[in-house]
Amino acid sequence: MTTTPRIEVSELVVRYGDTTAVDGVSFAIAPGELVTLLGPSGCGKTTSLRAIAGLENPYSGTIRLNGETVWAGGRGPKIPSEKRGVSMVFQSYAIWPHMTVFENVAYGLRVRKLPAADIAKNVARVLDMVQMTQYADRPSSNLSGGQQQRVAVARAIAFSPTVVLFDEPLSNLDARLRAEMRVELRELQRRLDITSLYVTHDQEEALAISDRVIVMNGGKIEQLGSPEDIFNRPVSRFVADFVGSANLVEGAMKGSETNGELVFETKAGTQIRAAAGKRDSHLLALRSSYIHFGGNEANTIPGTIHRRMFHGDFIQYVVDWPDGQLIVRRPPAEMLEEGSAVTVSFAARYCVLL
Amino acid sequence: MPKFDVRGLIVPILLLVVGALVLYPIAFLITSSLNVGDPQLFPPEEWGTGNYIQLFEEPRIIGNTLLVASVATVLAVVFGFIQAWILTRTEIPGRARLERLMELPYYMTPLIGALAWGVLLGPKTGLANQAWRSLGFSSDFFNIYSPQGIAWVMALFEGTVAFVMISASMKSMDPSLEESSRVLGASKFRTTMRITLPMVAPGVLSATIFVFAEMLGSFAAAFVLGIPGRFYVVTTAIWESALSYPPDYGHAAAMGLSLFGAMLVTLGIARAIMRHGSYATITGKGFRPRPMDVGAARYPLMGIAWGYIAVAVVLPLAALTLTSFQKFATVIVPQMQFTLANYETAFSMGSLGPAFLNSMILGISVSTLGVPVIGVLAWIIYRSTMPGRMLMEYVVMIPQAVPRLVFGLGLLWAWINIPIPIYGTLWLLGIAYFTVFLPLGLRTIAGVVLQVDKSLEECARVCGASWTYQMRTVTLPLLKPGLVAAWLLIFIASVRELGVSVFLMGPHSKVIAPSIVNSWLTASSELSAAMALLQTIMVFIAVAIMFRVARHVTGNQQ
Repeated sequence: MTTTPRIEVSELVVRYGDTTAVDGVSFAIAPGELVTLLGPSGCGKTTSLRAIAGLENPYSGTIRLNGETVWAGGRGPKIPSEKRGVSMVFQSYAIWPHMTVFENVAYGLRVRKLPAADIAKNVARVLDMVQMTQYADRPSSNLSGGQQQRVAVARAIAFSPTVVLFDEPLSNLDARLRAEMRVELRELQRRLDITSLYVTHDQEEALAISDRVIVMNGGKIEQLGSPEDIFNRPVSRFVADFVGSANLVEGAMKGSETNGELVFETKAGTQIRAAAGKRDSHLLALRSSYIHFGGNEANTIPGTIHRRMFHGDFIQYVVDWPDGQLIVRRPPAEMLEEGSAVTVSFAARYCVLL
Repeated sequence: MPKFDVRGLIVPILLLVVGALVLYPIAFLITSSLNVGDPQLFPPEEWGTGNYIQLFEEPRIIGNTLLVASVATVLAVVFGFIQAWILTRTEIPGRARLERLMELPYYMTPLIGALAWGVLLGPKTGLANQAWRSLGFSSDFFNIYSPQGIAWVMALFEGTVAFVMISASMKSMDPSLEESSRVLGASKFRTTMRITLPMVAPGVLSATIFVFAEMLGSFAAAFVLGIPGRFYVVTTAIWESALSYPPDYGHAAAMGLSLFGAMLVTLGIARAIMRHGSYATITGKGFRPRPMDVGAARYPLMGIAWGYIAVAVVLPLAALTLTSFQKFATVIVPQMQFTLANYETAFSMGSLGPAFLNSMILGISVSTLGVPVIGVLAWIIYRSTMPGRMLMEYVVMIPQAVPRLVFGLGLLWAWINIPIPIYGTLWLLGIAYFTVFLPLGLRTIAGVVLQVDKSLEECARVCGASWTYQMRTVTLPLLKPGLVAAWLLIFIASVRELGVSVFLMGPHSKVIAPSIVNSWLTASSELSAAMALLQTIMVFIAVAIMFRVARHVTGNQQ
């Protein structure tokens, strides 16, 4: 791609006293992309986002927005937040309680000294997008969480910023509303072609809405890739464990590559064919949703169903097998009794060597 | 960026000014307490600990202080506990209104309370004692000019903090702790004895110690009711040594610092108990404990709650009102001679009219100039990341720990010895008020600053607002209720100020509270009553405005 990235972060380091919150993070986001920073709390994802917004002063590294350097290791330019042209949706929504919904949304336009008619037109346009038109004249102090969320999004997009930063925008909503808003946000982002950097600790949310996902841990990037990449080909124990449900099996490599497949021997002596990953691995990751009962995949291993838990969208089985217990997720139509003997079967391409 | 340089200078300059205002008087106190030579000289020619040793040669004052403080503490905690229990744990009618009224004794001030109870139960002339004698008794019903009388007044008007602390510990208790006891089969009584009381015990204990420390430093009641009978506690003894002729500053300073030390130790113990013994009742979550169903007992309980308001607010104000409109205060109807002369005198008399005016000028100017400065301090301490802000908070809060009277003594001695000729002027009173109200202002504004989520300000910046635009459109409007409250609280505190004013007032800079005391000690109680009522009215008007503003604000934000 030859277009200039909207956001370009390289070797970003943020320190608070002796602790390093962000430790050498680099990535670039192309126009129109939605990229997620995913990780547990304290992994540095929000700090990275705030550094891009100009709300934290990084210790070193450079930040470029639309090709313009806004921060360079404390020596170069230090463009303050208000001059960066980015916009942000805060985790707490940060709706100003002393203003009406209209005034909240109009704020970024008023700062830019737009004519009153343009302000009214733009506010009406974005309030319509988030379906809050009828609330325009309400004081913003008595809105529900979901409504505040919509106002926060409307305010963030009203002045047509080139980049919108989302700091866990859905984490204060209940599960149902969260799922709804996830769809709406993605719709809006696609429709307006807004370049977005989105912070979340919810792996399901990250996989569902992103073009690319950056998994962070301990201030560093663990993996950067498409949602499918992250899910199907995790590169570390952390990613396999944090994203989705995976079985981690310990063991060692046995023999060399044949037909692009590797043989991994578990501690209990079971041999598993694997297709991807490191050549000197001692750990194998296997997603619980890629395991079948019966069938004739590359790997077939006998086991017994120890426990069955009905989750609605899927059934989770705990299967006793030679190496302990294996988590298996199957569609709810396929119901097996506890205690029954089964054959678990899975393809080599889903066995990832870490 | 040049902006940073300016902001970098603000902290050291403020620290220097505030530090000088706060620490300079304390330094003077310490040096003069160690001065065993000519007490009028500064710096001292001879150093020694003689002033401290002298304290133990008059155990009477220490004994008096401990006696009055203990009795007052016991009364205050008993009143506070009963009121707190009734108002937080029972379902009596009009509970919300009573809770609001509980703030009034505090705003009445111990000075006005002492005057009122002096008018009611003064020997022979007290209204209640007159009534008692007219019923045929040959002696007084009660002599308020006694240690018990002083303790009674202190408990009523300075003990409301016991109510506040105990009801806070009762309110912050998770009701599920009691509910689980009931579910597990314990009776209501057993639950109260085994769960409720042990849970609130640390709160009550630390309130007791806290109140005791406050009582040690209490001045007004002992001043008004103790001086006529030459009954001295440590605070009135400090006043006596500093303002009698010849003044013994060294002795006064040694007493003041010892009192300060004793209060610090006691408060330290109270805090330690709060921290270590308070279980997990304080979760920061606002529980609404389920009120107990007390059945028919709720009417007697309501009577007790109203009785407290009657004794602490209604009765004193009624006594002052009745007295202030009479030529010679009496309750015997045929002898009553009503007059407005006391009010005319209060306004016109050569020295008293100006006292009201001066107090108004001081109240308005100290709060108007003080609020912006304290606002900047609060913002630096609680919002910025500037180095030195923790130290600044510590320095600003010091006047809180020093008993007002002792701080007044330090200010007196410090400003007499400074070559700037402001002693005896309103300027000095203004500076002194600002210094002693720093903690009050900081706490009030900080309460709001901490409530305003940082992201509200950050969001304005990200939306493109400059720092000044953000301040004008977001920060200041959100802080407004806190700033208004701080203005009114400082105004109220200025208008009723006694402990510092009593030392710093000069013949041309009279203010209300000490003038009322002077009139009480030297002129008539009828005139004093009129002045006391006028001061109370000023304070209550400000309080009413404050409540209205507070209600307006909370009504808006819900």
